[in-house]
Amino acid sequence: MDLDHLQNQIGEWLCGLGPEADIVISSRIRLARNAAGFAFLSRANPKERSNLEKLLREKILDSEIGKTLSYFSLAEMPPVDRQFLVERHLISREHAFGKGPRGVALSPQENLSIMVNEEDHLRIQGLRSGLQLRTTWNEINRVDSWLEEKIDYAYHPQFGYLTVCPTNVGTGLRASVMLHLPALVMTGQIEKVFQAVSKINLAVRGLYGEGTKASGDFYQISNQPTLGKSEEEIIQNIESVIPQIIKFERTVRETLFDNKREVIEDKACRAYGMLKSARIINSEETMDLLSVVRMGVNLGLIPDLKVHTINELFILTQPAHLQKLERTELSSSERDITRATFIRNRLHNPRNGNS
Amino acid sequence: MQCEVCKSAPASVHLTDVSNNQKKEIHLCENCARDKGATIKSYLNKDTNFPEFKTAQLMAAEFSESGGEDEGLVCPTCGLSYRKFRSTGKFGCPDDYNLFTKQVVQLLEKIHHKVQHTGKVPGRASSQMAVKKELNQLREELKNAIEREEYEKAAQIRDQIYTLEGRRDKRK
Ligand SMILES: [Zn+2]
Ligand SMILES: [Zn+2]
Repeated sequence: MDLDHLQNQIGEWLCGLGPEADIVISSRIRLARNAAGFAFLSRANPKERSNLEKLLREKILDSEIGKTLSYFSLAEMPPVDRQFLVERHLISREHAFGKGPRGVALSPQENLSIMVNEEDHLRIQGLRSGLQLRTTWNEINRVDSWLEEKIDYAYHPQFGYLTVCPTNVGTGLRASVMLHLPALVMTGQIEKVFQAVSKINLAVRGLYGEGTKASGDFYQISNQPTLGKSEEEIIQNIESVIPQIIKFERTVRETLFDNKREVIEDKACRAYGMLKSARIINSEETMDLLSVVRMGVNLGLIPDLKVHTINELFILTQPAHLQKLERTELSSSERDITRATFIRNRLHNPRNGNS
Repeated sequence: MQCEVCKSAPASVHLTDVSNNQKKEIHLCENCARDKGATIKSYLNKDTNFPEFKTAQLMAAEFSESGGEDEGLVCPTCGLSYRKFRSTGKFGCPDDYNLFTKQVVQLLEKIHHKVQHTGKVPGRASSQMAVKKELNQLREELKNAIEREEYEKAAQIRDQIYTLEGRRDKRK
């Protein structure tokens, strides 16, 4: 498998299926792990880093899951390809633009990625569409056990899995659910979600954009503490709050639909019209328009459009994706033109999609 | 984006304070964030949402006065000094967790409100623990056998202990 192969498909997690997929885009869990008997990367010298990458790569590919994975070394990879993997949610931004020998092992369906030499020696990530934290946990728990047959993990009876940063120690587990909450943003009620969630030690952050300003109305909810609770308890804590947020978003959507149907319909159809006819469009405007259209599709206001077409556009219209599509480097203004063309083609011929 | 305080370094700590339905965003560089520790602490109340802000670095910096006798400690394995750990909030190797254990417990208490892992145990660690448990049990039996002057049985138990210990040493 190479990156061009990835480009011609779209990961399972974007298919728009899975439980509660109208609001929950995806569920993600990552585990932080370090190999015993080695310095952490924060103190490793270049030679140790390079040895670690080689060793961990061998162990991963030698494990039960290894046969199905493809390994990519990031140090030699062009920046646009690394950015591409970030846009696909397969590696972190830090990993893409970090330094030294490092890499990632990927499954063909993009459900599993194992980052080597990120902040910790290993970051194992599982990704699924819709609300599927438990399935995701079962999958990467198994992968973790397979890797553990090959790699002796740094583990402490009191502190659990040892990590570079004390905020990850214990289970090393960060679970997050990505939600699309346009109605709560539109009506200014998103703050209530922030408050409710922080009371039970969960964090909310915008998926795109800085701080809590989320373009595209995507919010990620994740656990804060990683120590002192079992993996199941951490997942349960998140699962306990998500249905309430989903219900809140749906109620507000229905109220908008009942009381201001013309306004919502107008917004959604105008946004759709803009996307179908724009000749130049930047990333931020694309996100905002797609968000409104996505809600319109979910409310049944745009019957000829499939939600997965919209889901895909959020990813496929990002800078590295456009540049890989055109097979050349593009300036920001060139990208805005390519983006508009790409969106028009997709929306006028939905079968151009990968479905 | 530039730091709002020194206006020179890039801001890497983004604070969002949401209280009384008012949202306030603060952008600071790491140095100013640490210097402002005291001011920022006032944002640390339970109704505040500050995911980006709750970094280990800031937490570790709060221990600046409580270092005490650990102040001069240096890890023999990775060379990380306690002072460096405090300023970066990052460990250098697995041994640091034992070396700075007193400070680590306090820090973890602050971050996680808990200090004992209760989740998954790696297979290797759990089989090591099983061996330890079995050894303790055998040693107890050995003591009893000697007390009861059952020397033949004691010799058998002793051999079992040797085997187990050998297995454990090889694993190490
Ligand atoms: Zn500053
Ligand atoms: Zn050390």
